[in-house]
Amino acid sequence: MTPPAPHIARRDPAKVMRLSRLGSLHQCRLSFMRQLTRRMAEEAWVFSRPVFEIDDNGVGHAVYTACGPERAYSLVAFAHDLPPEQRSDRVIAEAWDATFTLFDGVPTSEDIARLSRNVPLQEAGRVSESELSLSRANRSVRLWTHVVDSLAAGKQPELEQIYKVGYLMRTTAVYGSGKFGAADREITADRSEVSGPFQIEMLSVYLTRIFVRDLVQHMANVKGNGQAAVLDPQIARWLGIGNSTGLGMAPFIVNHPILFNNWIMAREEAIARVRDIETASSDKVRKFLNIFDRSKLSTSWWRSDHPIQIEKLATLNADLKAISDYLEQDDLTQNQPWDRLVRWSENTLSEDGQELVVSLIMEPYPELVDGLASCMADSNTQAHLIDGAMTVKQVRSLIRESFDWALDVDWTNPQNCARAWYVSEEKLEPRLGERFEEPISDYEQPLAPARDAALACQQLASWQDNAPIAEFLLQHPEHRHTVRRAQMSCVAPYGEIRDNTISAVVLPIDMLRAKLSFFGATHFDPRSDRWVRICMYSGAPYPEELTPQTADLWVYPEAVE
Amino acid sequence: MSYSLNEVEATAKRAARGAGYSWGLAEEAGKATRWLCAQGLDGTGALARLLEKETIRSGERGPCPLSNGAYLSDSAHILKSDPMMLRQVECPLLLVPFAAYAARRLDTCVAITCDGAEIVTDGAVVSTSDALPNRADRVEIRPSGDLTSIAPQRSRATPNPGDWETLNRFAHRTYAPATEASRLLGAGAGLSDND
Repeated sequence: MTPPAPHIARRDPAKVMRLSRLGSLHQCRLSFMRQLTRRMAEEAWVFSRPVFEIDDNGVGHAVYTACGPERAYSLVAFAHDLPPEQRSDRVIAEAWDATFTLFDGVPTSEDIARLSRNVPLQEAGRVSESELSLSRANRSVRLWTHVVDSLAAGKQPELEQIYKVGYLMRTTAVYGSGKFGAADREITADRSEVSGPFQIEMLSVYLTRIFVRDLVQHMANVKGNGQAAVLDPQIARWLGIGNSTGLGMAPFIVNHPILFNNWIMAREEAIARVRDIETASSDKVRKFLNIFDRSKLSTSWWRSDHPIQIEKLATLNADLKAISDYLEQDDLTQNQPWDRLVRWSENTLSEDGQELVVSLIMEPYPELVDGLASCMADSNTQAHLIDGAMTVKQVRSLIRESFDWALDVDWTNPQNCARAWYVSEEKLEPRLGERFEEPISDYEQPLAPARDAALACQQLASWQDNAPIAEFLLQHPEHRHTVRRAQMSCVAPYGEIRDNTISAVVLPIDMLRAKLSFFGATHFDPRSDRWVRICMYSGAPYPEELTPQTADLWVYPEAVE
Repeated sequence: MSYSLNEVEATAKRAARGAGYSWGLAEEAGKATRWLCAQGLDGTGALARLLEKETIRSGERGPCPLSNGAYLSDSAHILKSDPMMLRQVECPLLLVPFAAYAARRLDTCVAITCDGAEIVTDGAVVSTSDALPNRADRVEIRPSGDLTSIAPQRSRATPNPGDWETLNRFAHRTYAPATEASRLLGAGAGLSDND
């Protein structure tokens, strides 16, 4: 059943699409990891480990197969012996503790032999149409050693250590969609189980987590010489998979305006639906309060050494206290309680706190929210086509809709264009440099839509209102990408970041967090202004624990009795 | 070697940019090359030849199939009154994807005739017919024709290695040279990851 259109409108893109707010987003019911675990539980997926050939040095390979109602997918994992000095999370690294591919189906021994010659090389190897993703991971040295040593000595690792780090291995890139020879997204886009955004990548990471748990146990068994303890499932559950993310994700959200819009718009629609509820049952309120408490516990485990994040965490913790106080005054049952809570938060809390509130109010309402997950993929294959009959006047107005604020910015002021995005010839690593200090502007990528919109508007000013835009583009092909984006905004109101992506003060980590929050990541830990570590699947059920009861709310820890 | 269509699109886009096209037209080059490869046509070869020709003979070149193709795609309605006529076109195969966009918009078949050779498209597929010449004295694009036999769709591309190398050579012009400063600052790492 489709609920009636809410009376409360979705929030204004001008508010939502500011970088500081995007950099304050939190996971929610629509997050991609939770979409996957809910589906796997509902459809009773079957998991197996047909191969585990790892030697006493931790070197070898293993296969993990996930079998859904119609198809199977297999993670082929290669474990390596990595010298510590080579352990780097950068794209430009050339060796890793473990390397992976997600195979479409169940691999034969010939497939594994072929993959063993390519997957460990990552970007320097080739995979084929039978592979859906390519990824690698490095150990968290501290936690790995602690867990192996504890188990080998017959003891359980300390939970406190596990909460602090959150993972035994972190992935440093997960490539999908046709990269390095893998299958294009179009090959799998019509399969219901992986048609949602990043479901292949999320499945690959889910299986990677199982492999890492098995590998650490294997290494402890070798070291323990028969005396090793078996890792307690209650402890294993808090081991997630880390992810170290650099600048590659920032260009992604600029380069995929329709897809990014669909994520944001689905979330905004969910928020509007819940805010529109007139009265809440005591059962719904109880669910919300329970999730809020668990969310506080999760936040208490969130650590970062980065000054920006330390400050954000202090503010978020103060916001949590303020929300607790509010909830003591209001029983949330009457008079559009969720909308009142949101409006109160907008006047009282930081953007981080506000975004947490809107994520949390969705939790009691799967019936209003979860169906929106099906709107989050980009199936609009025609969106790049330009309607050349549109008039100059209409295009100007579309540009103003997204970039009104940018038209008066002095784009010649070095402060406003201090940075330039470029791609290095070193493994094509995306980078952000200082335009006036480094020889990079000749290599600039088109990742400053606001500046480009202002330039296009200047040029358009001298054209007749009713001239078709095709005539303008024939003379000004340099504005073609801007006109294309402007026309896309008709169907994608949340497609454009409403901030300057090349200013002297831009924080790329805001763009990274926006994307990672939709994956369902928690505990963002910036390592610099352009580099962030996160944790995925911490608290999630392993296959033997995966049921419809455990598949959804695992992201919120429960206090140990 | 076989490549994903995503690789073809990304490489073609960078190559066109590296050859000096605007970002918007480079995007068109990427989509067009991908579309041709999905039809089993030699899109990578056509783009490689075009980029080489354009860089060698700048100043005296004929109409560019990418610029004219983009105009055709933007303004499909012009075909309703008159056919599009071009002379001395390099790599006219690159016009076909844009004619296909026009066909979809007009909801009709569109025929591209180059010195007597013809390809028909309904927007989704092309007829298996004549190979188009590398250079055409006279090109005519008009709503007409029937799809008699249809070329099978491909999910991979197998570019000629020489053409692929040419595209990568142009693409390389868009990559900034590696410097130590860039390595340290540009990606913002520098902290040890061995923790």
